[in-house]
Amino acid sequence: MDASFDPSAPEPIIRRDFLKKLSAAGAAAWMSGEPQLVRGKDLEQPEAKADACILLWLAGGMAAPETFDPKRYEPFKVGMPVASVLSTFPAINTSVDGLQICEGMENIAKIMDRGTLIRSAVQPDLGSILHSRHQYHWHTGYVPPQTVACPHLGSWMARVLGPKNPVMPPFINIGQRLEGVGEKEELKAFTTAGFFGSEYGPMNLPFPEEAAKSVQPPEGMTSARFANRDKLYRRLVDQSPHRDYASDYQQASLLRSMDNAYRLLGSEERRAFNLNEEPAEVRAKYDTSRFGRGCLLARRLVENGARFVEVTTEYVPFLHFDTHAEGHTTLARLHSEIDKPIAQLILDLEERGLLDRTLVIIASEFSRDAMIEGKPGSKAGDQAAHKGDTITEMKHYGLHRHFTGGTSVAMFGGGVKKGFVYGKTADERPLIAVENPVTVAEIHATIMTAMGVSPKTEFLIEGRPFYVTEDGKGTPVMEVFG
Amino acid sequence: MGKIPLFTCPSDGFSYWIVCLIVARLDIVMTRHSLLAPTSLLFTALLIPLAGRAEVDFVHQVVPILKKHCSECHGGEEAKGGFSINTRDLFLDDETAAPGDAAGSYFLELINETDPDMQMPPEKKPRVAPEHVEILKQWVNEGMKWEPGFTFGVPTYEPLLKPRRPELPAVTEGRTNPVDRFIDHYLAENKLERPAPIDDSTFLRRSSLDLIGLVPTAEEATSFLNDKSPDKRTKYVNDLLGREVSYADHWLTFWNDLLRNDYTGTGFITGGRTQISRWLYDALKTNEPFDAMTRELIAPGSGESDGFIKGITWRGEVSAGQTVPIQFSQSISQSFLGINMKCASCHDSFIDRWKLSEAYGLAAIYAETPLEIHRCDKPVGETAKASWLFPEIGQVDAAAPRPERLKQLAELIVHPENGRTTRTIVNRLWGQLMGRGIVHPLDAMQTEPWHIDLLDYLASDFQEHGYDLKHTLALIATSSAYQSRAEVSLKEDDGGDYTYRGPRAKRLTAEQFVDLLWTLTGTAPKAFDAPVVRGVSNPEEEASSTHPSTWIWSSSASAGPVPGGEKILARRLFTPAKALRSAGVVAAADNSFSLYLNGQLLASGNDWSALTAAPAFVKNGANTLLLVAENGTASPNPAGAYAALRLIYEDGSDEIITTDATWEVSAKVPAGGNVAKWELDKLAWEKAVPVSLAAWSGAIDPQIGKVLAAVSAGAPLMVRAGLVKSDFLMRSLGRPNRDQIVTSRPNELTTLEAIDLSNDATVSKALEAGAAKLVTALGKTPDRLIDELYLSTLTRLPSEDERAVLREVLGENPEPQTVADLTWSLWMMPEYFLVR
Repeated sequence: MDASFDPSAPEPIIRRDFLKKLSAAGAAAWMSGEPQLVRGKDLEQPEAKADACILLWLAGGMAAPETFDPKRYEPFKVGMPVASVLSTFPAINTSVDGLQICEGMENIAKIMDRGTLIRSAVQPDLGSILHSRHQYHWHTGYVPPQTVACPHLGSWMARVLGPKNPVMPPFINIGQRLEGVGEKEELKAFTTAGFFGSEYGPMNLPFPEEAAKSVQPPEGMTSARFANRDKLYRRLVDQSPHRDYASDYQQASLLRSMDNAYRLLGSEERRAFNLNEEPAEVRAKYDTSRFGRGCLLARRLVENGARFVEVTTEYVPFLHFDTHAEGHTTLARLHSEIDKPIAQLILDLEERGLLDRTLVIIASEFSRDAMIEGKPGSKAGDQAAHKGDTITEMKHYGLHRHFTGGTSVAMFGGGVKKGFVYGKTADERPLIAVENPVTVAEIHATIMTAMGVSPKTEFLIEGRPFYVTEDGKGTPVMEVFG
Repeated sequence: MGKIPLFTCPSDGFSYWIVCLIVARLDIVMTRHSLLAPTSLLFTALLIPLAGRAEVDFVHQVVPILKKHCSECHGGEEAKGGFSINTRDLFLDDETAAPGDAAGSYFLELINETDPDMQMPPEKKPRVAPEHVEILKQWVNEGMKWEPGFTFGVPTYEPLLKPRRPELPAVTEGRTNPVDRFIDHYLAENKLERPAPIDDSTFLRRSSLDLIGLVPTAEEATSFLNDKSPDKRTKYVNDLLGREVSYADHWLTFWNDLLRNDYTGTGFITGGRTQISRWLYDALKTNEPFDAMTRELIAPGSGESDGFIKGITWRGEVSAGQTVPIQFSQSISQSFLGINMKCASCHDSFIDRWKLSEAYGLAAIYAETPLEIHRCDKPVGETAKASWLFPEIGQVDAAAPRPERLKQLAELIVHPENGRTTRTIVNRLWGQLMGRGIVHPLDAMQTEPWHIDLLDYLASDFQEHGYDLKHTLALIATSSAYQSRAEVSLKEDDGGDYTYRGPRAKRLTAEQFVDLLWTLTGTAPKAFDAPVVRGVSNPEEEASSTHPSTWIWSSSASAGPVPGGEKILARRLFTPAKALRSAGVVAAADNSFSLYLNGQLLASGNDWSALTAAPAFVKNGANTLLLVAENGTASPNPAGAYAALRLIYEDGSDEIITTDATWEVSAKVPAGGNVAKWELDKLAWEKAVPVSLAAWSGAIDPQIGKVLAAVSAGAPLMVRAGLVKSDFLMRSLGRPNRDQIVTSRPNELTTLEAIDLSNDATVSKALEAGAAKLVTALGKTPDRLIDELYLSTLTRLPSEDERAVLREVLGENPEPQTVADLTWSLWMMPEYFLVR
């Protein structure tokens, strides 16, 4: 760091006391009708069990039978019937008696005693499977299309709970590129604060190893010059004959945003964005992939007061968890990418005493199956590349269809029970949830309850109520809390 | 079997959700049930959601019951027996109800009464169902929670439909503009101070940004500030409005927002959405009257303007509230009438007077097949009848064929007796210029205006002047009201009571900010995405540019349909014959193409029926045109690519190079994004094969003359941000994702935006480029550099204090870095960022 750059927060330009008291909220006063919190105050808010949340998003449809919910294992044989494939990985024991997950996730197996595994999450039948639509649903709680732009879960937290540390952006989104990838427009549609306005939107960090750049002076500018530029700016604002507008709300809010930006860019917390500040041996534990490095970044951000962080394996059509072919081989690689970092994240948070107050969620838009597209009875068109009844090549071996009838969601910390399993899927195809099915609205209600927000929390948008969980009807799965 | 509702109905009336949850659970359970038969699960599953419902929901559970049984006689203007339930206070009057005590609440006693003389509702009316009585009891026991502001009373305000021409108040102090006559009268009546007039520089900046979206150049500013003529402001407004291209460039953004038109976005990838960009841009450029535009949008005569009513066809199933006909209903209502039909397209609205049947009536005008009415995503067993919202001025003939119905609707929307449409659009124009609508929000025209006479005057004046948008803009911009100091407001507008105290400052839009960045630094891109024709038409040039399109492909086309996904590279080397004045290209391909000149991307497109155009920077000497084209879809189908380059020489002669057999084609397209680095000579080149299809030439040939003439003539205009696809910076600054109609832009700067502006690479590169130019030009004369910088960014000269700071910072020999930092500082000043 440049020694001449004073990292202390800059002197705010706004001097009038009443303006200082204005919160960053209200910046959303736009669209045709400002969102107003309707009755958050009248509602009985649950006691917060967590004050930060990390969503580990295994984008593209994580096959539960290949990860957290192993079924009968059938090794690859040329000519084997597709119908015989339930799991392509054998099950392994975990630190919880009687709980098994898939081979390849040995490190996660060791930490299963720290959290709750929901095995009965279900998704609606949307007619045709489109990843981005299900992802929109999962991230906003509302099935697209909607007549208004719905906010991301992280934006709900940013809006309702605000930043945990005022310097830190409350909603940070790691690992997803929004340009140059398929379905990018659809991804943008939910990677947004929607009707709350962009103050509550995500800070997008597609490449964790470059995150530091987002909070540094522009490339080629020294910290000293950056600090001087700010000083010059402040002098010019002071000199402006339009200074007499200083009492104006709009001007004040603009100056405040500049203050906030410079405060972060000059803060100690900005170092949280720099993975190189982590000792090499710690970095090595996470350095399996972009996702792994994202997990490390998430830990550093939460340690420094981030409210909501999402880390994704990245959704790119037909890549990563979106296995339309080569399912087994791809999953073996993905296991190695996610296993160590996820386990290390939980252990690190625990060691730092943060796990109890940080809710970590592992989820995906739906599961996969070797035979069924959607769920039994669904009219969803088959999108598998290989349509034969038998498997003749290794590339056909895997779960290549999208399955919405039952999948796993893991939760750690944030007051959830330790070593607990909730819900169950069938042991034979169709592998649907046969016990305690949990909808997306209920997952949302559970997450928000853990964060101390009533699922009925409601805002008035264009005169209509919009709730933190779909229509305010999400009920938390209270059984998962200790 | 039921299915999980796709639909979001935040304001459901009849406990629909319980039903849905049950249905949803049944779906899962039944699926399982039929396979595994665990009967006990059925009950568990059914009980979970019901047991989870703790508190009664006033709006969704109680209001419908009270509406059905009580409000007819005890709501609105009715108060039989002196009892009204319009508000909670009235409900509690005379101890008719006791919050927290159902047993002690008289109204519940009457509902439970069996004596026909006593019971409520009265004898001949249907009883309240026992489960509904239970809900009411629970509601009372829970304290009778009431939605703040909710009333069973009739809305206090119902806007007039017909146009109205109010009398103009007397002129004061020679301020004759009709806007001023109303405003001056308003201010006097409300004993408010008249806001101070703005100086020339503020006016110049404000009017230029508001009307064409740019700040005046330093020269323009100097000449205006030195102009002593008394009517220079009015002349300047007319001058701005007369710049057809700049005006269209700027207002395209407003209309794109209003009509949710864009160049990319959800739906385009699957062909579920159509642009109206070219038509819209032309309409703006020629200042097509608003009534004519409306007709072309609602009852399109061609495929050029039908994208608005076609809405977005989503993949997969959508809720009944988002089908294309319902989108039509919602979009027409919002864009043209300022009506929010989103509630009513699910159930009778709770927040205004619109009913489900009315939302579906509008939708049925559009629907090609009988449209079943769905209430909260469930069919109600009725078919919608095509109808529109204000039958008092006429009705759509439901029996007429669809094109006729659309025409009738369009005529009703611009009907001379329909003042709603004109009020809605003039209110939007007022909002654009004055920072806040006369009715606020702009999409809620059911709201009382703060000055009804002003609104009605503007609307009827607009109509009398042939729905001329520029006329109304000029009327407002030449008023003293517009030319007054912006209101200094101490708090955010909460949408509550409003008093006019002058125009409101507006934040630069994303497009304005980026346009200024490009203007001031010379870093605008060379090509744009909107398939529009810029430039003013010139019949001679158009005739000279007209030619039939000629399409090529590789030899694989000789054998018939081309394999899906096949990609080719075509090239043409050329050397201009004489000294060049300007050049431009047009191209189209089935299915997509990218056209490069000397390694630089000129244009790309993926619509074989629409030309993409771009100005070209042709070198003296040898040039290489490269065309990468790709055939779409999976199965074999016709493929072809067409491009034409028009060179205009200094002597006025021209030459057109088009795709033909003289081009060379390579079946292999090199990998790597840097086209300039492709090793072209290592490829195997063959002669291009001419191909043709009537559909291609039918669509493209009529466009060629006009587009090629415009794009190749004269100095290329700077590309404007509103013409390119949204990018990271513009999104960050609030350019909306146009999946929905969003009619107003953010008025503030957020922290994340401030971070981006502080360290975004694009911004800082542009700053460096601009600074370098400025130092080269004026580095030797720091004082002139300072003047230039202030004039071109803030449209004013620096004060003496400011000049002192700048002299100190810049020194005798300004460094480009310092100039860049100074420019950034000026850009971030509220004075720059706000149009005030």
